[in-house]
Formats: sequence, structure tokens, C-alpha cells
Amino acid sequence: MTATTPTISPDTIATGRRSQRIPLGWEMLTTAGIFLALAVVDLVLQPGLADLFQIGLLLQVALPAVLIASAQTLVALIRGIDLSVGGMFVVTNALTATWANHALGGGWTALAVVLLVGAGLGLVNGLLVTVLRLQPFIATLGTWTIFNGIALTILKTDGGAPSTALLNASLTEPLGIPLPIVMLVALLGAWRLLRGSRFGTQMIAVGSDEERARLNGTSVRMIKAVVYSLAGLLCAVAGIYAVGVTSTGTPTGGDAYILTSVAAVVIGGTSLAGGKGGIGLTVMAALSLTIISDIVAAMNLGAWVAVAASSGLLLVVVVLRSVVELMSQRRTV
Amino acid sequence: MSVVLPIARPRPGTLTALGLFVAILVVGTIVSSGFASASNLRQLVVFASFVGIAAIGQTFIIVAGGLDLSVPWVFAFGGIQLSMLTNDGMPGIAALILVVALGALIGAVNGFGVTWLKVAPIVMTLAVGGLVQAYLLAVGLLKSQGNSAPQIAQSLATSRWGQVPVAGVIWIVLAIAAAGLLQRSTVGRDIYASGASDVVAYLSGVNVRRTRLLTYVVGGAASAFAGIMLSGYLGSTYVDIGSPYLFSSIAAVVVGGASILGGSGTYWGTFFGALTLTALSAVLPLFHLSDAQLKIAYGLVILGGVWVSTAGSATVGRLRRRQRRHASD
Repeated sequence: MTATTPTISPDTIATGRRSQRIPLGWEMLTTAGIFLALAVVDLVLQPGLADLFQIGLLLQVALPAVLIASAQTLVALIRGIDLSVGGMFVVTNALTATWANHALGGGWTALAVVLLVGAGLGLVNGLLVTVLRLQPFIATLGTWTIFNGIALTILKTDGGAPSTALLNASLTEPLGIPLPIVMLVALLGAWRLLRGSRFGTQMIAVGSDEERARLNGTSVRMIKAVVYSLAGLLCAVAGIYAVGVTSTGTPTGGDAYILTSVAAVVIGGTSLAGGKGGIGLTVMAALSLTIISDIVAAMNLGAWVAVAASSGLLLVVVVLRSVVELMSQRRTV
Repeated sequence: MSVVLPIARPRPGTLTALGLFVAILVVGTIVSSGFASASNLRQLVVFASFVGIAAIGQTFIIVAGGLDLSVPWVFAFGGIQLSMLTNDGMPGIAALILVVALGALIGAVNGFGVTWLKVAPIVMTLAVGGLVQAYLLAVGLLKSQGNSAPQIAQSLATSRWGQVPVAGVIWIVLAIAAAGLLQRSTVGRDIYASGASDVVAYLSGVNVRRTRLLTYVVGGAASAFAGIMLSGYLGSTYVDIGSPYLFSSIAAVVVGGASILGGSGTYWGTFFGALTLTALSAVLPLFHLSDAQLKIAYGLVILGGVWVSTAGSATVGRLRRRQRRHASD
């Protein structure tokens, strides 16, 4: 009866998840490599791009997509998915173009309220997921169309009249640096702070293994609700900024961001299975997709080339990653 | 060999979707007496058939534990490729069969990536959908002349036998075949098993890879065929024709009571889910609700339907357990 019981080392259990096989450092290197390679190609094609102002112009177009992809990253990190990012974008976008130009003095207070609205919409997702225990995919499938409907109620077609204060602010260059660059740096800085905080650790813990996180005393529901709210907040920043640079509101322009945000998350190397990745990776991937469109435009190729190239990049990246994982699995077995 | 499957019983999800559909019909008839008229119902069934047929594949895929985001582009591919082939002089029937087969091939690429390369379904189908979209944009540049839908697509989607629309008959025949395959065949049992737990299914001798691959093949063929039908109904094709069907094909499955995690759901649920969503968009204008409010109502029906059917399943489960306890006492 005293036969040795087979011991399962905690290590085997911990590494049981497929997504943990490629270390994060590798993802960082490959994503940065893709980004730099594309940037070099773009610079060779358009040498004039090596200028802070030109980069600012490029980022002006890219920033909403980058912010929305960052929102998707946060949700992916807790093993969720948010199909309503486009919806939160259009609601806050429509509000900025209409209500926020006169309400509460039409100034920054109104925009702060719009940010809160974005966080509130995210919180609705969070509550559907945590309190009603709906699958994130289903909950946000429902709120996606609800938010789109709300946006269309606020603003029927493209248009609206944003406040001049916002328009001017969107074109400012603090210390000679174009605003989108400043915002991008701020986004990355905020992410580093968040990731390094107690909250960041708990977030990764929830995404890695919800049950263990709960046993360790993490309030899983609270973390999830806050993460969905933060995603809403980021979408609201994107919604406000898009009004600022295009000077109109677009109540129907959100759907295009949903799948591209997922693509950027995946190309960057953040795992949809949760617990691994970060906004830094996603930012590089989202910018890579922007550069692809820029290169295609510079070479006067048809729009289909950009679609093919970005989908092809997604396919190549995920297939290579899978092949590497499958091979490393074979080696360890 | 007769195997009594627990899945042959009507599920709470199917009943929820059926109940929602009947409720909408009743409300519609109260508000406008002509709502349930033959011509109106015919219109409703024809329009629901496009979602319903595309959702055959989505049901199979979701029940087996996957997801297909390439639906809108394969959908558009169906109509555009068919009109290109018939413009080049290919006979209608041959072109139709070829296009559905090509749709199945696109589905097979999805399935290959998901099963053999182990890429997440969302990602694989997103990438393949993007490549199909790029192809459609590229051929759209080459062939700028009007993309009118060919005769065969138009007659499939718009002709009638007496009062009965052909599109509705096609849908019901396909529905019976799909439900039969899913609920009364070994393939169907393998699909449920793969979706419930791929490890357990594998250890029980189910060829999980082949089963899942098959669901994606069905999905590609179904989307391409549904796209052909819609192009025939509208009389023309364009690249974005399938855009609403990403949302609605998933929504029909979900309203029909399937779990997005796989392993549960029926095609009849999806069938009534498709009818419910279509009837909803027909009934809301009677209340003078705008397109915006329609979108909001859609979302509420999805969330409510899912919540009711999951809560319903939980209640039924509880009741059955209690019954069993009483029986054993």
C-alpha cells in the first residue's frame, strides 16, 4: 500500500496551456521585426516620411484604430472578447459631435462626461459578463448592435458640429510634438503603469487561470468589470479624437474597427486565450497594418492589395506561430 | 442499431425561439391585421431563408466548438463568382454547382487551419475571409461591368409554385437535411461530442479533426449558396452584400439556443432564430420604430433570448434532477 504515488509537478499543470509555449520576449521580437521592416520599406518609398510632422499625420489616421485595438487587448488579456468596441466608439463619437458641443458649456467637462459614458457602456458589458454570466462573445454581440442603434438615435447620418475648442486641441503640438504622438506615448506609459500595478498583476492572473486567481483572493468579477470599463474608456478616447481630426461625427463608422482590432491583437501576439501579451505588442501590430495601407497607397496599388496584405500577414503570423508551437510540443513530448 | 439520443428531445432553446417567433406574429397581427397574410408570410420566409441557409453552416460549426467569421465574404463570393462564370458562358446549373463547391473549398481551408494547424477559429476564419474579400475587390476591378445576378439565381430566389415560394421550399428541404444530419446520424453525434469536449470525444474514438473540418466545409458551401440566393433575390451582386450576415448568422444560432462554447444547440432552434430576427425587422416598422431602434431591439432580443434559454436550460436541468431524486426515493 505504500507504493509511490505518481506526483504531478505544479510545473506540468502550469505549462499545460498551449499559449504559454512561445515566450513573450519572442513575440516582442517578431512583432517589432515586422513593424520595423514595414517602416523601413515605407521610408525607402517615401523618404519625406522621416519627419515628426509627417509621422503625426500618419498617426492622426491610425490613432482611433490603435486605441480600439488596445481596448480589445485589455479584454483579450482577461480571456474575453469585445465585439462592441465599434459600438462604444460610435456612441461616444456621435455624442462628441452633437451633445458635447453645447452641453455643460461645451467645453472639457462635457468631453469628460463623454469619457464616462464610454466607461459606462464598457461597464454594461462587464456586468452582462459577470452578473448575468453571459459569454463575452454573446454579451458583446448583443451590445454591439444596441450601441450602434443608440449612436444612430443620437446622430442620424455623418455630420454634427463639434466644438471649435476640440478641433483646435486635436491639432495642437505640445513642445512641437504632434498630439497623436503624445497620445501614443501616453497610452504606452499608462499601460506600463497599469501592468506594473497590483491591478495589472491581478488582471493577468484572471486571464491565466480564473479559478486560481479566485482562490488567491482576487475579486475576479471586479477585475473583469473594471477591464471592460477601461476598454469602453479607450474607445471613448478614440471616438472623441476621431471627431477632432475629421471634424464630423460618424454614427455608422464603428463596425470596421471590430475585426481589425482583433487582427491587431492577434498579429501583435496577445493571446485570445488570456493572460499573455500587452498593449505594446498591439500598438506595433496596429501601426504595421497602417503602414501596409500607406505603402499600398504610395505605390498606387488597388485597395484589394492592402486587404490581401493585411489578411495575408495575419494568416502567415498565426500559421507560423502554430507550427512553431506544434513542433516544440512534439519535441517536449 | 437504434440509439436514443438525449438531443432528439426539443430543447428549451428551440422552444424559446419558436415562442418568440409566434409572439412576434401575434403582436404583428394585433397591430396590423394584414401582418400574417399569405403574401406577407411568404415574403418573411423568403427573406429569412438567406439567413437561415447561411446559418446552417454556422450552426454546425458552433455546435462543434468553432466559429466562422468568413461568412460575409464567402456569401458575397457566391453571388459574384456565379455571375462571372455565367457571363463567361458557363451553363447555370454547372456554374452553381461549381461555385458551391468552391465555397466548400474555402470552408475546407478554414477547417484545415483550425484542425491541423490549430489556429483559433476566430483568427483563421477572419484571415481567410479577408483574403476572399481581397479576391472579390481584385476581380471587381477587372470586371467593372454591371454584376447582374444570372437567371438561375433569380429563378431560385423569386419564382413560386402556386402560392409557395421556391426559396422557402429549398430552405425547408435543407433544414430537414441539416437537422437530420445533426440530430439523427453518427456524424451529428460526433459533432456534438467534438463541441462538448474534444479530448473526451477523441478518447471515445471520434475523429475530432475530420468532424470539425466537415463542419467548416458545410459552412463554406452553405454561405456560398445563401449568397447566390440573395443575389438572385436582389437581382445584383456587390462586395458588401454579405456584411449584415456575419451578425445575423451568429445571432440566429444564438437566439436558437446554441451555446457559443459548443456541444449544444439544434438546427430547428437556428431555423426559428432566423425567422424570429426577420419577423422582428418586419414588425417593428409597424410601431413606427426607426432603423436605430430596430438595432437596439435586435440586441435586446439576443441578450434576452440567450438569458432566457440559459436560465431555461438550468431550470429544466434542476427539475429533471429533482424528478430523478424523487424516482430513486
